[in-house]
Amino acid sequence: MVRATPTGVGDTVIVGAIVRRSADPSEVARGEYRVVMHLDQLQTLIGYGDRVDRFGVATRDSAATVRATALINDAAFGFAAHRSSDIAVETSQTFLVVSRFHRAIGVITIVASAVFLLCIMLLKVDERRRDVAALRLMGISSATVLKSIVLEATLVAAVGSVLGVGIGAATSALVNAHYRGVYRTPLAFSIITPDVVAFAVVLSLVLGVAAGFFAARRLTRVHPLVLFGR
Amino acid sequence: MTDAPLVLRARDLRRDYPMGESPVHALQGISLDVAPLEYVAIVGPSGCGKSTLLNLLGAIDRPTAGTVHIQGKPVEQLSDREATRFRLLHIGFVFQRFYLMPALSAAENVELPMAEAGVAKAARRARARELLDYVGLAPRAAHRPTQLSGGEQQRVAIARALANRPALLLCDEPTGELDAHTGAEMIALFQRLNADGTTIVVVTHDEQLAAAAGRVVHMKDGRIVSDTPRG
Amino acid sequence: MILTLARASLSRRRTRTALAVVGVAVSAALLLDMVMLSSGMRESFRSLLEVRGFALRLAPKGTLPFDTEATIDSADAIMAQLRANPDIVTVSPVLGGQLHVQLAGGSVAAVAIGIDPAVQGDYEPRAGRDIRDADDIVVSDALLAATGAHVGDTLRVAGGYDAQLRTVTRERRLAIVGTAHFIYTPANPKVLAMRLHTLRAMTAAQRDPVSLFMLRLRPGADADSVEQWVSRAIPRVTAISTAAALRQVDERLSYFRQLAFILGSVSLAVGLLLVTTLVTVSVNERLGEIAVMRAIGVSTRSIIAQVMVEGVVIMLAGSVLGLGLGLVTAHYLNGILAEFPGLPAAIDFFLFEPRDAWVSLGLLAVSGVLAGIYPAWRGASLPIAVTLREEAVA
Repeated sequence: MVRATPTGVGDTVIVGAIVRRSADPSEVARGEYRVVMHLDQLQTLIGYGDRVDRFGVATRDSAATVRATALINDAAFGFAAHRSSDIAVETSQTFLVVSRFHRAIGVITIVASAVFLLCIMLLKVDERRRDVAALRLMGISSATVLKSIVLEATLVAAVGSVLGVGIGAATSALVNAHYRGVYRTPLAFSIITPDVVAFAVVLSLVLGVAAGFFAARRLTRVHPLVLFGR
Repeated sequence: MTDAPLVLRARDLRRDYPMGESPVHALQGISLDVAPLEYVAIVGPSGCGKSTLLNLLGAIDRPTAGTVHIQGKPVEQLSDREATRFRLLHIGFVFQRFYLMPALSAAENVELPMAEAGVAKAARRARARELLDYVGLAPRAAHRPTQLSGGEQQRVAIARALANRPALLLCDEPTGELDAHTGAEMIALFQRLNADGTTIVVVTHDEQLAAAAGRVVHMKDGRIVSDTPRG
Repeated sequence: MILTLARASLSRRRTRTALAVVGVAVSAALLLDMVMLSSGMRESFRSLLEVRGFALRLAPKGTLPFDTEATIDSADAIMAQLRANPDIVTVSPVLGGQLHVQLAGGSVAAVAIGIDPAVQGDYEPRAGRDIRDADDIVVSDALLAATGAHVGDTLRVAGGYDAQLRTVTRERRLAIVGTAHFIYTPANPKVLAMRLHTLRAMTAAQRDPVSLFMLRLRPGADADSVEQWVSRAIPRVTAISTAAALRQVDERLSYFRQLAFILGSVSLAVGLLLVTTLVTVSVNERLGEIAVMRAIGVSTRSIIAQVMVEGVVIMLAGSVLGLGLGLVTAHYLNGILAEFPGLPAAIDFFLFEPRDAWVSLGLLAVSGVLAGIYPAWRGASLPIAVTLREEAVA
């Protein structure tokens, strides 16, 4: 048992380990020293008596969790049982804020990328205005020209999507490796799920094809001789 | 012909282009003198080296061998920067396809070489107006090239070529893109220019343009086959 | 003439130019936001710390102010010690706690701050008057709204709450004498401020504790030497200067600085890529024109200058547009991050300073110059005769 008095010297304790943690992302605005010790010793040290702040309960499965929660709450007086998943939601306000921030940045980046993509597609298709003019003068229909440019844009977007997924996966792994080391936590900072991949691929395909379509339509609506600059 | 020093003196010009195993000899030892106030037409079949010769005479290209002196200055030895400056101040170019800057007005096209030469804005504007008036295009000074006919564009190109009062006007197929009527107008303009003191060398297929010149040089297969003064 | 040519070239392809300007604007907006983010938190926090002129804060040993529930005991003796130091002009003690306002249908939990109204630095009075008597309180607007009370009303406030028995203890009637803006609390706080001794009595505090001392120094006093004196004279406390607090903030929010740097670099790179592509395509379309210009005697340097001017004009136009866009998005993003739990509401993550705009503009202008150099040099270096022939054939 560890004894200590506020203004005197107490017992000598053996420090088991000192761990220095850098700022933890779950405690962005707070920081404190932590001591982990035997329950009964802490209870005695702080005069808590026979009290604890909470119990952690492990169950066999999720059905057992539901039954146990109901059972405890029926019999409880002065305390309540909560599912860990519910508490996680309640206490992860910090993560929610960061997550919303990331989402906002993501949306802005997507909008920016869409503008860039349209710009560059317009430029690259515009570069070939004379080729397009020559084809149309030869008798190739506007529709055929449009389809060929859109097909090209689709292929580029498809290859780009695949490459992008690869780059994203590699970057995600790098981010996790880095921040896990910095914050010494098993938390994942970036998770790539199938729906995230699907969303990214579909979005880039749609944007790429749309950009190619608009760029091509600009050219095919203009008379070939005007494209030649006459 | 005058006794004044030659405007142009080319000796033994050769220009080879590497093409596979054996090079193509575009020019095979061309020598040519042009005196002040001469109007020389260089004629010959396609591929005989006329345009290649013009590029060498105008310091746009470098000969494989031989020398080119313009107003006594050996231009084949000039660095790229020096040659550019030399062209700006001493040589005027007129191209078959006009090559006006489509984003500039007629007047601005004429001002362009003067601006590069550092001429003050007021002075170059006045000179541009004067030159456009000379070629009959004063009312069209504010028009863009796309708003001008082929003949009008070529007139603007001629005005531009004269902007810095060059010693020599070099023209590459100036009537090549023009119809017969407009071509005839151009021929008349060239004669007026020459009469007013411009030394002109023209490369052309156009027989009428060649006929208007004071001297005709025939080329074939990279060589001069005849050099005949007219009249 | 260079400017004329550049202007004419840009206005020839209006849609393309407009789209490029929009693209650069988006890039510029994001860059501006990231520049603001990288320094905003720190500067905002600094302003917050310095707002009432308190240069040093003393917290329980090893903690930051209000980071934990730890307190500094025997505070009255420590205050006397501090006041004896000639460099210390004002000592403001602060005690934090939680109280429960009793209403007809239940209770409202509120953060309580015990202060000395003569020297307090935690709130700025808004309506009514400041605290005078032992039972006076000033409250936040959010607490008024939550309790349905008004200035002049009396509240039943309890200091103790037994969660098991659901009973309150140490209830006291307190009079709302005014409302105030509480400087260091998170957004929409339910806060009330009272005399220090009143809060101690209500929380049955033993050994006259405080959570924090704030010290105002005399003009010219060195905060570092006072900090060191405190460390020696009062080893039970940690003295934190504004600089030390800022360092802590920097460390805790380093993630956002890193994010700002990465996103800022990426947006700059993308903006540069966009303008480079535009200029390259523009030059490629005009190889014939460029060759003619060189043929008639326009120098390579003039041609490069003209092309670079195009790049710079797009960058500058986009930057001006991006400035407005960036301020709007910064406001939106700031609103998201302001909801960080535990962070004072007065902290801005995105703080606009004119310096930030100049930095962004400078970076973009340099990018605009760089974007034009290579394509322009390439275009102007092609052999004239060959280019003329190829362009004629084309």
